[in-house]
Amino acid sequence: MAIVDKKLSIRNRNKILVGVWQDEDNLVAAATALTHAGIHIHDIYTPYPVHGLDRIINARRSKLARIAFFFALIGLTLMTTMIWYMSVYDWPMNVGNKPLRFTPSWSPVMFEGTVLCTAFGMSFFFFWRNRLVHGIKNELLDIRQTDDRLIVAIETTADMDEKAILTMMKKNGAIELRSFHKGVQTILK
Amino acid sequence: MIHDSILRDRLVTGDKTPSDVTRDILRPILNNPSKSWKIGFTLSVIFLGIFGISLLNTLWNGIGVWNINKSVMWGWDITNFVFWIGIGHAGTLISAVLLLFRQKWRMSINRSAEAMTIFAVICAAMFPVFHMGRVWVGYWALPLPNAFGSLWVNFNSPLLWDVFAISTYFSVSLLFWYIGLIPDIATIRDKVSSKVGKAMYGFFSMGWTGSTRTWARYELISLILAGLSTPLVLSVHTIVSTDFATSLVPGWHTTIFPPYFVAGAIFSGFGMVASLLVVARKVMNYENYITIGHLDAMCKIIMVTGSIVGIAYLTEFFIAWYSGNEYEQYAFANRAFGPYWWAYWSMMSCNLIAPQVFWFRWARTTPWFIFIMSIVVNVGMWFERFVIIVTSLHRDYLPSSWVMYSGSLTEVGLFLGTFGIFFTFFFLFAKFLPVINMSEIKSIMRNRE
Repeated sequence: MAIVDKKLSIRNRNKILVGVWQDEDNLVAAATALTHAGIHIHDIYTPYPVHGLDRIINARRSKLARIAFFFALIGLTLMTTMIWYMSVYDWPMNVGNKPLRFTPSWSPVMFEGTVLCTAFGMSFFFFWRNRLVHGIKNELLDIRQTDDRLIVAIETTADMDEKAILTMMKKNGAIELRSFHKGVQTILK
Repeated sequence: MIHDSILRDRLVTGDKTPSDVTRDILRPILNNPSKSWKIGFTLSVIFLGIFGISLLNTLWNGIGVWNINKSVMWGWDITNFVFWIGIGHAGTLISAVLLLFRQKWRMSINRSAEAMTIFAVICAAMFPVFHMGRVWVGYWALPLPNAFGSLWVNFNSPLLWDVFAISTYFSVSLLFWYIGLIPDIATIRDKVSSKVGKAMYGFFSMGWTGSTRTWARYELISLILAGLSTPLVLSVHTIVSTDFATSLVPGWHTTIFPPYFVAGAIFSGFGMVASLLVVARKVMNYENYITIGHLDAMCKIIMVTGSIVGIAYLTEFFIAWYSGNEYEQYAFANRAFGPYWWAYWSMMSCNLIAPQVFWFRWARTTPWFIFIMSIVVNVGMWFERFVIIVTSLHRDYLPSSWVMYSGSLTEVGLFLGTFGIFFTFFFLFAKFLPVINMSEIKSIMRNRE
């Protein structure tokens, strides 16, 4: 299966400089140094979450919490409407002469429906936002990035000094340097 | 500022590197099944067969083959239902509640506990579904239009709340488990050599690359799902307890039931997690990941929740006397000194007295002893549900309806059979998916505060 959005594929981007790290402290130091030098880091790939990296590469804050609240409101509205329609409007049922409308006994079902809608709505949003799709072709810069290597990817532009970037990466503990352009990988000294 | 902790014991021992973690945890997945796995799996399938035969007998002859009657209309079936649903609660507690409390020791055990939740809920669902008798019209429990044959469902009934609560709990737990699995499935995808394996793990890894942006959102969604799952797990067993508490049966009609049931669920769930992990860490060589420290922490939770349950037992007894209600007083006197005294005292000794041994450090740090105690806890919790259900129903307001009840062979077969379902799923899980969350373990290896 193809990539969902071809523009996002690393194959269709400019030349990418790749640095490989083994130590997370060195990686954090390198990412900080590169960003301070005004270099835009395309992304960092790690086998486990490294806290603070998203702030270092200036990733935008996720809207997931607001999305969750939005789906919670939808869930609550749907469930309230459903119960009202079934047990008040369409077929009012007298159960032991208890009140028909908005009784506390509605709250468990309203709550469960709200949680269900929030969890699934938010998760599908999460999958969509991260382009996580069943069967999608994965694009790895290094097969070990899901095992024990930490990878920094920098997309080059015409005004970038590639040599200076590579030197900076090496100085900050990169154990391997590579470039990636149109599907061809070159190992750099 | 990040500090390396010098006060806390390391959560992963043996000076492991991230690649060691991958290698150790993926060993059972990437290699052929071990002899112990084959033996365990075969035994599970045999028990699954027992379930199949018992279920066939139930479906063919009707639930008349169970010994339930018009007084004890809930017997082994609902006992087993509450038993399994209770076991399912520890998974969510470990993955959600302990995540919210930032308890990092949960990371070695959350994956298997979440799997246990899902399998236990499947086992639990079997009982109310087949207790319906005419299971083919089971869909009447869903809110379907009157034209389908039933009336709209009754939203005042706790039994309907159960339908919503358990299905939501199952779905959200499965989602939480799957999202947690995606990074590890991606690791297997990049390690496995067979074509089929690559295709399967590739399909389920959803193109995961480990991008920083994805990790940031992943951590946020885990936190929000944990925030949602925490009230959810409390609601599910609260609703199960209202199946009893909203009725007028002596011994059931008490407001203490919701917290008492939730504490009991966590207690029995941790009992099952301890049983599984004490064996898994030995058989799968995970001693460096599921350390004595983890077992120690689990035992402390077992002891605390066991004590909460014990206090609930005593409070129930006191309130029955204090209420001045003779039916309530009789129900409790009958529990302790009536014909089912042996069940009551088994429950008291297994749930209240036995876990007190965990005050001693030796007991909390000796795996074989923890294994025995975890079985004791589960036996005790099964008896708790049996006592609540059977002793209250067999003698209520009308002495002419008093009867004795014991499970039939088919009922016993169904219960033993659900262990077949549970362990068959668990063995398949241990063979094809990582029992320990690799990505989370890699993030805590440095023991940072």
